[in-house]
Amino acid sequence: MTSTGHINAQHTTHKVVLPFYVYASLAFLAATLLLFLSSSALTGHYFNPKILAVTHTMALGWGTMIIFGASHQLLPVLTESGLFSITLGYLSFALAAAGIPLLVYGFYYFDLGWPAQWGGSAMVLSILCYVINVAGTITKGKKDNVHAIYSLTAALWLLLTAAVGLTLVYNFTSPFLPEGALAYLPLHAHIGTTGWFLLLVIGVGSRLLPMFLISKYDNERLLWLIYFLINGGLLSFLLLFFFSLGASFYWIPVAAVSAALVMFAYYCYGCLRQRIRKQVDDQMKISLVSTGMMLVALVLLTLIILLLNASPGHRLVLLYGFGTFFGWITAIILGMTFKTLPFIVWNKIYREKAGSAKTPNPKDLMSNRLFKAMIIAWVTGSLICVAGISARSASLLRSGSALLVAAALLYNWNVMKVLTYKPAT
Amino acid sequence: MSVVTNNDLRCTIALAALENVIDPEIGLNVVDLGLIYEIDFDEGGTGIVVTMTLSTPFCPMGESITGAVERVLQDTFTGAVVLVKLTFEPPWSYERISEAGKKFLSA
Repeated sequence: MTSTGHINAQHTTHKVVLPFYVYASLAFLAATLLLFLSSSALTGHYFNPKILAVTHTMALGWGTMIIFGASHQLLPVLTESGLFSITLGYLSFALAAAGIPLLVYGFYYFDLGWPAQWGGSAMVLSILCYVINVAGTITKGKKDNVHAIYSLTAALWLLLTAAVGLTLVYNFTSPFLPEGALAYLPLHAHIGTTGWFLLLVIGVGSRLLPMFLISKYDNERLLWLIYFLINGGLLSFLLLFFFSLGASFYWIPVAAVSAALVMFAYYCYGCLRQRIRKQVDDQMKISLVSTGMMLVALVLLTLIILLLNASPGHRLVLLYGFGTFFGWITAIILGMTFKTLPFIVWNKIYREKAGSAKTPNPKDLMSNRLFKAMIIAWVTGSLICVAGISARSASLLRSGSALLVAAALLYNWNVMKVLTYKPAT
Repeated sequence: MSVVTNNDLRCTIALAALENVIDPEIGLNVVDLGLIYEIDFDEGGTGIVVTMTLSTPFCPMGESITGAVERVLQDTFTGAVVLVKLTFEPPWSYERISEAGKKFLSA
């Protein structure tokens, strides 16, 4: 008999988590295929229907869906309370799963009528369900939890990002904004990448990193400082944007976010230095490499801001976008998928058997060879694409994106291997 | 790592058995990890109360770990009724890892 105080309340059923993982892995494959089919588009201007389709498949179908899935599993750990609502989790999945293909279809064929409008609206509703679930879970849990506050703030920035995006979609068919969509894209893009992805990655990563490395390092003050720098940077960016104070002041948000990133790199270093577990597995290494990639993306962003006055800087913008979605965000997901998914599936299969029979290690559910091959294909493909964007070479972009398709196939293969794992009888 | 008990001999047997319960993420057993706080045996020998913690509250693997503790003790002390009580007071900390556990993790 087990007296389960926290246990029954905590258990997020795998049924609400796994659909997000499956959807995200298929979206990653779809995005790389779209990239391969539209590779020549990356030699031109970034405001292109094909590039918009690839970007939204990566940002929503890949990055956001897997974060939604992992969040439903990890929020109870971050907030130290049970998930607020499983139903909202299912609803969030259903709305996003229906909305994303409509939105991507709308962008790919530049049909911003009902497909993009309905798709975008479904996505906003999905995010709203997610925000309510995060807020409800936090309300049930510990109040002074820095990681939970990061998660909620990130979710609110995502809601704002999606609302701005949906406004832009409607503005295409019935213009009502004072300027064209291109003027508002930096707003939509920066609050999405910094407010949603960066804030969430730092908030959740700062909790998981010491947990996985078994590190004694703890620095909540530093995490609060990073939190205020990122949000302060974003708010100053919004003020500069809406009051048209000129590009010469954009160093303020860039400096704030740069300082936050350097501090987070220092936090990661602290965790590594004070870890009890000496061996760092490949999944954690890839996730840690992504911290370095954030800094590269920031250098590109600084160059864009410095150079945009003198030249259109399209290639830098494309490199920044490519580096953000296929580099940084993909790196974290590739690492963290195989750090979390085998455990979720292992728990589903062996929860009732652990202790009464010999059980495999959760890591045995995946293939390490497939993982290594996937990393090689992803790194090589990404580097070739970066060269292709820099040199405006369609053939390099085709070769690079073909390797990224291979990486996505290997990723899907390994995910399916874990999901379909059958215990030896 | 120290475990409070009211029966040293039975506790030694229980801890030896619990060394087979492995935290799936860390790869270390729950005894060396310092998750077991107290093991009480009733006088008739049919009841065992284990007070333990998890490395983090609301750990996703919590149910499988506490379930494994219960099953291992039921197998070891046949016919015993095992009650696993989960507590987070005091919370688990790295200081609770045994020397053998630290050696395992630093290898």
